[in-house]
Amino acid sequence: MGSIRFDKVDKVFGPKAGGVKALDNINLEIGEKEFVAIVGPSGCGKTTCLRMVAGFEAPSAGVVSVSGKPVTAPGPDRAVVFQQFALFPWKSVRENIELGLRNKNLPAGERADLVASALKLMNLETHAEAFPHQLSGGMQQRVAIARAYVLDPDVLLMDEPFGALDAQTRVVMQEELVRLARVNPRTVLFITHAVEEAVYLADRVAIMTRRPGRIKQVLDVRKIRQAENWDKHPRIEDVMDLESFVHLRTQIWKSLREEKSANVI
Amino acid sequence: MLGRRSWIGVGTIATLLAAWFVLTTMTGIVSPARFPAPGEFWTSLRQISVRGYAGGQLLTHALHSLKLVAMGFMVAILTGVPLGLWMGWSRKAEAAINPVFLIIRPIPPLAWIPLAILWLGLGDAAKIMVIWFSAFVPSVINSFAGVRNIDKPIIEAARMLGTPRWRLVSEVIAPAASPMIFTGLRLSLQAAWTTLVAAELVGALVGIGFILNMAQQDLYPGMILVGMVVVGLLGWATTWLLGLAEKRALSWNMAARD
Repeated sequence: MGSIRFDKVDKVFGPKAGGVKALDNINLEIGEKEFVAIVGPSGCGKTTCLRMVAGFEAPSAGVVSVSGKPVTAPGPDRAVVFQQFALFPWKSVRENIELGLRNKNLPAGERADLVASALKLMNLETHAEAFPHQLSGGMQQRVAIARAYVLDPDVLLMDEPFGALDAQTRVVMQEELVRLARVNPRTVLFITHAVEEAVYLADRVAIMTRRPGRIKQVLDVRKIRQAENWDKHPRIEDVMDLESFVHLRTQIWKSLREEKSANVI
Repeated sequence: MLGRRSWIGVGTIATLLAAWFVLTTMTGIVSPARFPAPGEFWTSLRQISVRGYAGGQLLTHALHSLKLVAMGFMVAILTGVPLGLWMGWSRKAEAAINPVFLIIRPIPPLAWIPLAILWLGLGDAAKIMVIWFSAFVPSVINSFAGVRNIDKPIIEAARMLGTPRWRLVSEVIAPAASPMIFTGLRLSLQAAWTTLVAAELVGALVGIGFILNMAQQDLYPGMILVGMVVVGLLGWATTWLLGLAEKRALSWNMAARD
């Protein structure tokens, strides 16, 4: 359970004829418990890819499927972490995390246990009764991640989840996500425009072209990470200092840059 | 106790009262025939409170008016808020109802009085109906706008979590729209009081509008002023109560507002 597959997917916004073609023939397979990041110039349709897996948008052609089944509607098997957190401001941290479990009609005792472990996982235990507006951006995104994880989803969809955070918080959350991926691995589709973030977090990085978005290249980071033993460095800045990391980052950066200059001409 | 800003408000009211006293009783710049002096106001207030006027004591009149406003307002929000939420949520409902609404909306609520009397007679029911119509519109419009202005990711998050329809309405859409809903309720309450007096001016036997009507026929400016002040105070008190309810219901939203 938990693979994602894009099969000849097109997406056109607006009228069928004369609309804007956002995605052109996307083919991508994400294996079970694999972490794939999509990077691309802004407006290339990378978020649209995620939204189709979530079931918020339907493809204009082709099929998006999760665990072999075509996606038709949003559902708790595909948990989403939004860039702007999208917490319910009138619900406490606990109630935010619990809603998905109530929707699954789990008994109260089981819900309490699951919420408690999600709070613990994200270091939120002391903030369980707080309301979102009382928390910093980083804490709010921890709540959103806890709300997604507690559902025990097949896949986790993260749409620029750290884009709204300041630089320091961002680094802490990136390390946190790596820790989480070790404790509790999931199939993750991660959208970002930050190349370093993608290289640091992902098993594979897919690079998209400018609009209409196509997948230009998919880089396997996993091999290099294992060969160069990145994981022995607990801190993100030490990993980012490694020659192999810098090399990969530069490679992706150059590839993206071609897209940007093509855009200008 | 009272905050700094409240004291400024108290100061303004005190200044106005003083100016009233100076312009009428002290200097006589404004003649009693045009505007009653404080003494005359006090006499009228005592008369209606103790002996009664226009067929009843002040409390009887005030309670009757309050009852009409409360009933009209309740009916208006019980019908208006759900309708507004529904129109906000369903494009089909909006498409079906909005054209009718756009035509009915510009009709002044008071224009319904003749029809209301024809249908329901001169009793309270007709007045409640007119108050309902006037208070209905702001509730609908603001609830509608409240739903339309909900951040899309909030709804998407709820759907992603597998929230069933009824829970989506009661735990996500209604609370998300509630700041706007309360704005609508406040406007509805104001509209209810405005319409009440007008409705009672026509064919009432008790109530504040009736006091005003009788005092006008009796050429009794002091009593007219009493009626006006009582409406003002009742309107202020009910708005204050609504504000308390809003503060309780929207405690999660207060930090964002200040």
